[in-house]
Amino acid sequence: MKALAYLLLIQVKNKILMLKKKPAFLVLYGIIIVFVLFSIVTMIIFGKDMPQTKFADERIVFLILAGLGLLFLFTFVSTGLSTGSSLFTMPDVGLLFVSPISSKKILFYGLISTLGKALIGSVFIFYQIGNLKTNFGYGLKEIFGLFAIFTVMILFCQLLSIGIYIFSNGNRARKRVIKGLLYALIGVLLLTALYLQRQEHIGIMEAVLRMTDASWFGYVPVTGWATMLFIGVVHNSMFKMIISLTLFLMIGIIIISLLTAGKADYYEDVLLSTEFTFQTKLAAKEGRNIPRQTATKIKVKDNDLGIGKGSGAMAFMYKHILELKRNSRFIFADGYTVFLMVGVGIAGYNFKTSEVSYYIVLAVVIYLQFFLTTMGKLKIELMRPFIYLIPENSLKKVFAASVTSLLKPCVDGICMFAVFGVFSGASIPTCIFFAFAYAASGAVFVGITILYQRVLGGQPNMIIQLSIGMGLLLAIMAPSVGVSIVAAILLPEALSFLSVLPYTVFCLFFAVLLFVTCGNLIDKAEYSGKA
Amino acid sequence: MLLVRNVTKRYGKFVANDNVSFEIRPGEISVLVGPNGAGKSTIIKSIAGLLKFDGSITINGNENKSIQAKRDLGYVPEMPALYDMLTVWEHLEFIARAYSLSNWKEKAESLLQRFELDDKKKKLGSELSKGMQQKVSICCCILTGPKVILFDEPMVGLDPHAIKELKNLIVEKRQEGAAILISTHMLDSVNEFWDSTNIMMNGKIAARRTRKEIEGSGEDLEALFFKITEGDKVVQ
Repeated sequence: MKALAYLLLIQVKNKILMLKKKPAFLVLYGIIIVFVLFSIVTMIIFGKDMPQTKFADERIVFLILAGLGLLFLFTFVSTGLSTGSSLFTMPDVGLLFVSPISSKKILFYGLISTLGKALIGSVFIFYQIGNLKTNFGYGLKEIFGLFAIFTVMILFCQLLSIGIYIFSNGNRARKRVIKGLLYALIGVLLLTALYLQRQEHIGIMEAVLRMTDASWFGYVPVTGWATMLFIGVVHNSMFKMIISLTLFLMIGIIIISLLTAGKADYYEDVLLSTEFTFQTKLAAKEGRNIPRQTATKIKVKDNDLGIGKGSGAMAFMYKHILELKRNSRFIFADGYTVFLMVGVGIAGYNFKTSEVSYYIVLAVVIYLQFFLTTMGKLKIELMRPFIYLIPENSLKKVFAASVTSLLKPCVDGICMFAVFGVFSGASIPTCIFFAFAYAASGAVFVGITILYQRVLGGQPNMIIQLSIGMGLLLAIMAPSVGVSIVAAILLPEALSFLSVLPYTVFCLFFAVLLFVTCGNLIDKAEYSGKA
Repeated sequence: MLLVRNVTKRYGKFVANDNVSFEIRPGEISVLVGPNGAGKSTIIKSIAGLLKFDGSITINGNENKSIQAKRDLGYVPEMPALYDMLTVWEHLEFIARAYSLSNWKEKAESLLQRFELDDKKKKLGSELSKGMQQKVSICCCILTGPKVILFDEPMVGLDPHAIKELKNLIVEKRQEGAAILISTHMLDSVNEFWDSTNIMMNGKIAARRTRKEIEGSGEDLEALFFKITEGDKVVQ
């Protein structure tokens, strides 16, 4: 046990010491810690003095929690049905599994290590302190409650995934049953919401809110348990807290017993998922395709052979298009494009009367785009030596390797706002200019990823992007957003579609500026084979 | 002609290359040897323009990061890094396009044939074994007709036929006047054709010898290596 405790502690220590080699990250993490502490202290000192205003409907928080719980449940059950989750890493497999240490102790080590990761993963809750306080009147009790619930959910779902894998591995009938139960659960929830809507003559949103607030919902696995636990915390209901914690604990203990009872040997059960997780992480680091457990072999067709066009730096662009073509027949349009089309279609249909809501839709999709924009193909190129070796100007290579990342938001914008126009009744020029604004935002976000790479030598994690990146971006973009808002107010109705033009022009200018200033990336970067 | 002058490469406080200087003339095969962690791959990557360093590296008189120098340089990395979604042939096509080569197809065909890859032209990078990836990497490097060629552990993972072909290719390139630098631990594999050697220890060049000097003293490459790297603990 001493060896396992040593291993845990030394890994934590080394991870912290490693930050010394990345001073920019050290500063950013420092800022995050100060920000979180500042938020907590401010809340403690000034929280009580804040005037009591009318707060928003707290069922919205219950709904978000339920939604995330359902997402966790779906994701981890699906993983359990394919590869299973793992509490371990490849070095654990290579060094610990073969060591003369009890497998139960090793399992305990895996649980503690996963709990640590879950705690770190739940830190983002603290970024919502201001939001939760202002909008819902929540204090430290509720915020720490949410933090603990997220940690419990992540840990539990990991265990659930392993349990499902052990139960269903190699048994198609069991897999079918579990899959059926999962889809049935989702179906029942959807039907219940629709039933409530019809029965009570209320909107779909109100129906969903009522459903997640209902007492029966608290008994729905994971999503309901988490919601019930939070409702218990908010309303000081010991009964609800005990019931939900008991459910989490009971199923958790059953799964652990399954892993350790009798002659059960979980090493083999977690081996595949550990190897798969390792391969996935390695592939992600190296920018390769994520290996699929049931990978469909890509067949290269004769008429699809060859890059065909481009010379010099532009060879990168045509190569990327060929690679995209191999991944998806629609090249730039993918699942996310469909998701956007469906999302804005529904939004357009529901808010067709209000022109202000058009701008809200645009703002929301741009907000999502900020978090989902990656360096794309350029990142992959930086992890291979070719881009450094090819005798071309650095800016040309950076631009050519980023073209596909710039084209993706153009395609998404066109598809999305075409659907939006159909369902909302927005004018064609409005849809076109919205698509331009979306594409221009994409160019800025791609530029920002290049800026990160140039300054930090890598891409910051989501927490940093959420706190620092978003804040900086808002500060820089604020004037153009302001001008666009003023334009929207002042322009006659017939020309209102032009209101987003200042924002679009500024985005394009800023994107060009980012590319030009960071275009020497290849000359200044060092090839390490990883990003 | 490759000229390396006073190159120092630091990672924080760690000095990976300490004031390294050497040169390789056209038509010369130089082998870079040394124990693990001696700094061989670092100096090769610095020459290839993949790392920042202090000092000067010129390729045929041009600063190594210049476009002209890149045009003259070929590099075979230790770990082949191919694109998953490109076929073997498309890797060569991509290199030809990126280097703006003309009339490259015949040469590409001949290289693939030499390394027994001609029946694998339509295989994707992700479908190739490490050895096959290494062969593609060698073909990509040679296709551009480089005048200075860097090989970082080129024989690791290759089958005997490919090793034989690679050795022949290296000798041919020397005859064509290329300056060739090979970093390797497999001393036997370069014994028959090396012209000069630089032995690295702790980031520095610990010794430099030409073949003539060694043959004159009755030593061989392996004996010299152990003499330099193990000092008093010399093996017979």
